[in-house]
Amino acid sequence: MSGESFEYDGRSVEFEAGDSVLLALQRSGIHPTGGGTLCFGGDCANCVCTVDGVSYVRSCQTEAATVTTVCPHPAGGAPSLPPLDDRPEAPAVEYMTTSVVVIGGGMSGTSAGAAAEAAEERVLVFDANDGAEVLGVYPGPMVVVRTPAAMVHVECERIVVATGAAEIQPVVRGSELAGLYTRNAADVLSRAGIDLGAAAAVTADELGHFEGDDEGRVTAVVRADGSRLQCNSVIVDLGRTPRDALARMAGPGEATVVGQAASVVPTIPNCPSSGVICPCSNVTVGQLDDLYERGFTHMELLKRGSLAGTGTCQGGVCAPYLKSFLADRGGKLQPAFTARPLARQVTLGELAAGSHLPAATRTALDAVHRRLGAQMERIGGWWRPWTYGDTDAEYRAVRERVSIGDVSTLGKVIITGSDVEEALQRLYPTDVATIKPGRSRYVLLLDERGFVFDDGLIAREHDGTFFLTFTSGGASMAEMWIRDWTASWGNDIRILNRTWSMGAINVTGPLARELLADLGLIDPPSFMGHTVATVAGVECKVFRLGFTGELSFELHHDADRSEELWDALTEAGAAYDLAPHGIDALFRLRLEKGHILVGQDTDYDSTPHRIQHGWAVNLNKPHDFIGRHAVERTAKIPVNRKLVGFEADKPFAFEGATAWRGDDYAGYLTSVAWSPALGKAVALGWLERLVDDFPDTVIVEGVEARVVPPHFYDPEGTRARA
Amino acid sequence: MEQLDDVLRVVSTPEALAATDFPDDLLVLPLAPDERMVVGMTPFVLPDPHAIVVRDAGWSARWFDSADADSLLTTHCPWEPPSERPSFAQGMVAGLPVKLWQTEERTLVIVPHVFATEFAERVDR
Repeated sequence: MSGESFEYDGRSVEFEAGDSVLLALQRSGIHPTGGGTLCFGGDCANCVCTVDGVSYVRSCQTEAATVTTVCPHPAGGAPSLPPLDDRPEAPAVEYMTTSVVVIGGGMSGTSAGAAAEAAEERVLVFDANDGAEVLGVYPGPMVVVRTPAAMVHVECERIVVATGAAEIQPVVRGSELAGLYTRNAADVLSRAGIDLGAAAAVTADELGHFEGDDEGRVTAVVRADGSRLQCNSVIVDLGRTPRDALARMAGPGEATVVGQAASVVPTIPNCPSSGVICPCSNVTVGQLDDLYERGFTHMELLKRGSLAGTGTCQGGVCAPYLKSFLADRGGKLQPAFTARPLARQVTLGELAAGSHLPAATRTALDAVHRRLGAQMERIGGWWRPWTYGDTDAEYRAVRERVSIGDVSTLGKVIITGSDVEEALQRLYPTDVATIKPGRSRYVLLLDERGFVFDDGLIAREHDGTFFLTFTSGGASMAEMWIRDWTASWGNDIRILNRTWSMGAINVTGPLARELLADLGLIDPPSFMGHTVATVAGVECKVFRLGFTGELSFELHHDADRSEELWDALTEAGAAYDLAPHGIDALFRLRLEKGHILVGQDTDYDSTPHRIQHGWAVNLNKPHDFIGRHAVERTAKIPVNRKLVGFEADKPFAFEGATAWRGDDYAGYLTSVAWSPALGKAVALGWLERLVDDFPDTVIVEGVEARVVPPHFYDPEGTRARA
Repeated sequence: MEQLDDVLRVVSTPEALAATDFPDDLLVLPLAPDERMVVGMTPFVLPDPHAIVVRDAGWSARWFDSADADSLLTTHCPWEPPSERPSFAQGMVAGLPVKLWQTEERTLVIVPHVFATEFAERVDR
């Protein structure tokens, strides 16, 4: 012995150089699953065990020198999942491209690889016995291989399958005993110097069944003619079947099968009359008979009905017997069932290797928010500061003094061109011609059915360019929308999405003007106006808006100046007791104003009239626009539900809570908040028309709510327009 | 990843872009038929009165020598970048939208600034 060892089920198992785990176990007289024919070819599940925490590992194809701990699977049950705190590192992934992938490094594979190389093709050869297990063939074709170093994804032009042939395993009484070997396994053991003791050999025609002792070891083989051979082990030679599953995964013309995988004529074994036919899924001949009687008369149906062939060995043992079962009953040999990846068990980490969760985008102020201790949340595809720790204080800073908020997430698009006004007239339901240079307007985006799918601003520049804004997360969709429509109309326009390259900071609160004056903004725009100005040395496009309900200036600027601008505002703002506000405060502030959040307060079929935004649709303008016909049609139909305001003296339970009048469902809340400024709970939500009319009051989770116009705070807008 | 300075985004008609004689010291990357990323600040004349030409501060970038670029792309790029040099390609690397400018000696990897942190975390993991 080499003196090297691994731990098996609490004991030390020594191995020789080059041993597989199974061979080392056999040297110590251990059968890792307790019984069943061993093949040493990776074709069955009779040697799988848990290796270094990973279950269902074929020990016959695992090099002992790479292993520390091996455990048998629990008898009659599945191995337990590894503990969560013992999570292994995600495997690496490698991407390769080549002309030819050869699967199987035996004589025929080597020969095929050499021939391809001679033809100056790039060749990669993978062999499971060298630790490179091909797990599947995917469209492309792409071959996925598990190697000790990484999961390898290989794009190739063609595949050569040289995987040889698998030996037929016995499916007879006693085939679950230990001491049974295929001819290949006996050769491997013999070369390793392992004595099989008194070994009997049987062929397919000779085999009757096996007998064993109380410890599950074979003691005799009973031949078909009834004769009985006493033995310590049995070498079965029942014929072979091509290992062609990987070839069958490939698309038409993608794979060539060579060597024994091509030349071996499949043995169709005798159909057993009873017993387990699929050891992995424990499917018996009786169960198959039952299914057959119920109409499951084809391979695919039988597989789905019984789950035979879906277990660890993926039909390596049972597939020939399923064929013989059906041939016996139907008189016709059916093709093998569809082969699909994966051909081997994989860990979730291996399966996910190279995959990534969609990344949330980060504004240029992301690090600033984190330094300030903000609780960051993913909202609209962005990391955003939910709160800096005290939402009430952030809220008060906006309502009473001045605050800054990161609104870089807003969609921002420049559009220009000789047809730009015509294009915008057709894209938007507002009359774009009446937006003067230096002015902006709140707008809805409607789809062809007249449903609201985004909102934002149109700002007209003095040079004929327009600057459009959209909801956070809405810019990409809006850009595609504009590009598609203007291309189909043949408009001469230029469009550039600047969402990722421009930052935006909202300076809001009754003292916002004073703060900005301190930083150089002497002549700020009037309400809904915009201008270009330098603030704290940073060139900004300044928009005068009112999403919070207070005096507000959005400072749009190059993203690489965001930190500089934020820091200057923070420093100068100290004189005004400035505090930044997060999204939690912002949502409360905008709710008090009754400003909707498209996607949260709107539904998939929200028309402007249903959300009481009919004022944002100008049907008097002489242009057709997307959704116009639908809006005109639906405007004639009485509204059956509408977005309204609710108020109550006690807090509402939660967003999504349902509203009731008696036993009648009356709608649900989409946004809720307690308003410190008003001393009551406010909400937006959908109200249903009941038999008589829209109700005036509803009950939401036991709280009486009054239906009111949604402009709760400063309904005249005097604060924002100050 | 470092901020990529001196970047212009140029949007115009494909015809006008094709007719533009960009100075040799500019790196001009064709992001789309109607769009170029121009690295460098040497002036140029674009024959399109409606062209959008703006400074673009939205990019982070890093040069990799050939060996490091090979290693990066082998482990994080599921598609095969062009083998010609120089060449420009764009696609997903480490699951994020990336632009590659490959020269004989090195490769410039350009990532939108909004993904720079994520990209660094993924490729350094």
